[in-house]
Amino acid sequence: MKRFVLAMAAFALLAACGNDNKKKDNSTEKEMVKDQVVNVYTHRHYEPDQNIFRMFEEKTGIKVKVINASADELIQKMKMEGKQSPADVLITVDAGRLSRAKDQGLLQSIESNILENAIPKHLQDEDNQWFGLTKRARIIAYSKDRVKPEDLSTYEDLVNPKWKGKILVRSSSNIYNQSLMASIIANNGEEAAKSWAEGIVANMARSPKGSDRDQVKAVVAGEGDLAIVNSYYIGKMLNSPDPEEVKTAKQIGLFFPNQEDRGTHINVSGAGVAKYAPNRANAILFIEYLISEEAQKVFTDANYEYPILESVEPVQDIKDWGDFKEDNLELNKLGENNKKAVLIFDETSWK
Amino acid sequence: MKQVGNKNEAFSLKTRLKRLKRDSNRWSVFTLAIVFFLALPIIFIGVELFSGPGETWSHIVRYLLPEYIGNSLYLVFLCSILVLILGVSSAWLVSRFNFPLRQQMEWLLILPLAIPSYIVGYAYAGIFDYGGSMNLLFRQLNLDFIRIDIMNRAGLAFVLSISLFPYVYVSARAFFLNQANNLLEASKMLGVGEGKTFFRLMLPLARPAIVAGLVLVLMEVLNDYGAASYYGVNTFTTGIFRSWFSLEEPETAVYLSALLILIIFALILFEKWQVRKVKFSSSKTNSTQIQRKRPKKSMQWLIFSVVFLPVFLGFVLPVTQLIYWAVLTASTVFDMQFLIISLQSFGIAITSAIITVFFALLLIYFSKWSTLLSIKNIARVGVLGYAIPGAVIAIGIMIPTLALDKWLIKMFGNFGIDSGLIINGTLIALLYAYAVRFLAVAYNPIESTALKVDSSIPDSSKVLGVGNLKTFFKIEFPLIKTGVFSAVILVFIDVMKELPLTLILKPYHIDTLAVKAFEYASDEMVMEASIPSLFIIFTAMIPVIFLNKLLIKK
Repeated sequence: MKRFVLAMAAFALLAACGNDNKKKDNSTEKEMVKDQVVNVYTHRHYEPDQNIFRMFEEKTGIKVKVINASADELIQKMKMEGKQSPADVLITVDAGRLSRAKDQGLLQSIESNILENAIPKHLQDEDNQWFGLTKRARIIAYSKDRVKPEDLSTYEDLVNPKWKGKILVRSSSNIYNQSLMASIIANNGEEAAKSWAEGIVANMARSPKGSDRDQVKAVVAGEGDLAIVNSYYIGKMLNSPDPEEVKTAKQIGLFFPNQEDRGTHINVSGAGVAKYAPNRANAILFIEYLISEEAQKVFTDANYEYPILESVEPVQDIKDWGDFKEDNLELNKLGENNKKAVLIFDETSWK
Repeated sequence: MKQVGNKNEAFSLKTRLKRLKRDSNRWSVFTLAIVFFLALPIIFIGVELFSGPGETWSHIVRYLLPEYIGNSLYLVFLCSILVLILGVSSAWLVSRFNFPLRQQMEWLLILPLAIPSYIVGYAYAGIFDYGGSMNLLFRQLNLDFIRIDIMNRAGLAFVLSISLFPYVYVSARAFFLNQANNLLEASKMLGVGEGKTFFRLMLPLARPAIVAGLVLVLMEVLNDYGAASYYGVNTFTTGIFRSWFSLEEPETAVYLSALLILIIFALILFEKWQVRKVKFSSSKTNSTQIQRKRPKKSMQWLIFSVVFLPVFLGFVLPVTQLIYWAVLTASTVFDMQFLIISLQSFGIAITSAIITVFFALLLIYFSKWSTLLSIKNIARVGVLGYAIPGAVIAIGIMIPTLALDKWLIKMFGNFGIDSGLIINGTLIALLYAYAVRFLAVAYNPIESTALKVDSSIPDSSKVLGVGNLKTFFKIEFPLIKTGVFSAVILVFIDVMKELPLTLILKPYHIDTLAVKAFEYASDEMVMEASIPSLFIIFTAMIPVIFLNKLLIKK
């Protein structure tokens, strides 16, 4: 037993030293080739992203170093680190968080013709502090057996009493729901948004829980008829390694709301250069690479997001859903209205 | 001995200060220094309390607080009951009776500790999901109108209990194994029956050990974020995250943390109070091992099933589900990088375990040698970190260390050196944070074994003129060795599983398995998260089995 303890202790020491050595290596490396790094704070925890980073490394020789956490935590971290922050690029999965980072002075404006020209106006910040990378739509997944798509129309119509006990939606602490609510505040005003939330809560099939995928499963299981979900999760379910999940996803229909008026609520996953980026030039190169055709192809092929670059075709599963009209709301509004959205959720006890 | 503090109340402040000075020695000062070091992040959070809550505080009190309190109390209550039933019954049965596979059961019962509770939560959600194993089974039996919904607060209480009960099991069994035999024999001689002996004698005597385990469980329960948010149950901890991040009001989050700390403080005081009433020490820590009874064959199998049930629910079932997912996703997820990440996780966990236990030892013994008696209560402040959500500790650590870093940069700048951040974003900050967070995990097992050492032994050594340190190494350390090693292992396992704090403080070039699992799970790729989860489980299993060997040897 003693020997085992000794061995463990020795291993620990080794591990600790090993880490230290690595640290030294990194710092000397940094000094020698200072420009060859880009430090990325990202909320995108997707495996395909790592492939894109690797492709970027091979192409440019710039090493990509990643910290993964939720956007909120990353923003707090950058705020506290201040001028010393090692972050070069902040990537989030929601425009609201990007505009929040902008408001807190954590991002900087950059000049890039490539980004300027490739990305539609309403999907990038007017001060060039952040840029959309991919799009997702918040859509309605419905039971093919029990719902006629003709009966569906808008987000606003979901409060109609005919949907009582039929609506499935996840918790309001979820960022996508907060942004949907923020867009409704921006479009219809606070009062209307509040009564909308009350109507949804009254029509809920169950108390909110689980993920977007769980809402889809609950529709198929018959717990409710409609689920408000993010488009790319449906793509992922259709390509799931679990055959049961594929079967489930095939049993639902997709509806893009508000086609007759402002369009379906969309959100972007996007990136911005950090205010105190130590490797500013690399950061710009990096973001430019993310909207290159090859990177955009990975985003849509492997992660089922809508590419932001119009020249890139969406993956087949997405294309099958057809074109739709997007809500062209200026996305900074999502950040501005985020807090109001959360307060309304609480007041209407949307958990 | 512990009541000295009360008498002081008669004195004026001046005399009290004088007494304070007279009574303290250098150990008192050392203790204070360590408590200060460990409590620093908590102090910084505490300081924010004085700036008042944010503007949404009244909103939170009105709309959310009743639910947070209700759900947290519900969880504390239900988990206490479940954990006590599972932990104490299994500890008693494996200690007292012989039955098939008893020895295997001894360590199998600790294994649920190796799975992070949020992963148990994912696994159970998957099992009871539409299209999940249970649903498919019911479909085969044409019973698919039955759907068990586990994603609610009762389900959450079940998931947390089934993954945390080993804390109670371990401490209760340690008591039964090492302390119970003499009493059992006495009870037998007096002709008292088996049931009565257990309920009237063993249970009251084992109470301090059981409650020490229970307090750990309840702290984990109050601290849980991953499982609670997935199951849609709003608790204090999810509320802290909501007000800090969604409402952007750190002040409000700090207020909620402070309320949570009050609850934990009450729990700790409760534990102190109930241990005080049962003073129990034995000079023979390695007194004779408990004598096991061999009941009838049918009875043996009954006992086996009772003991196997928590193992099945807490380990076999969730791990089977994970393995099934792992098989489905192995081709896309598994690569060499996993081995490297596993080794990194292992190295970080063992290093921080040793550091944390070292701090716990310093705290326990310095305060013991201190002549200032009230310092023991002050020392308890050092263990508060366990009650505070990892994300909050991470922020609490960043405030002072960033200030220090900025100062260092300025100092180095004077010499023309650009040092960059020295503490933040390196292992130092991470290890510091683990020590703050997990001190309680190390403190409790060491303290409970230290309490059992009859103070007359070290006292007589000191009377003979041997110093505190020498007495410790020659006499006390060998006596509390079990406690120390248990502490190392428990901290090791906790660090392996730790998530929110690691996410915020980890250095760039290091990944842990928990981080990897989270990356998948947070993107609703629960299936893909199964492989890193299994790696965590198997890396944590090795020391768990070792822990068991340690407890049996004694």
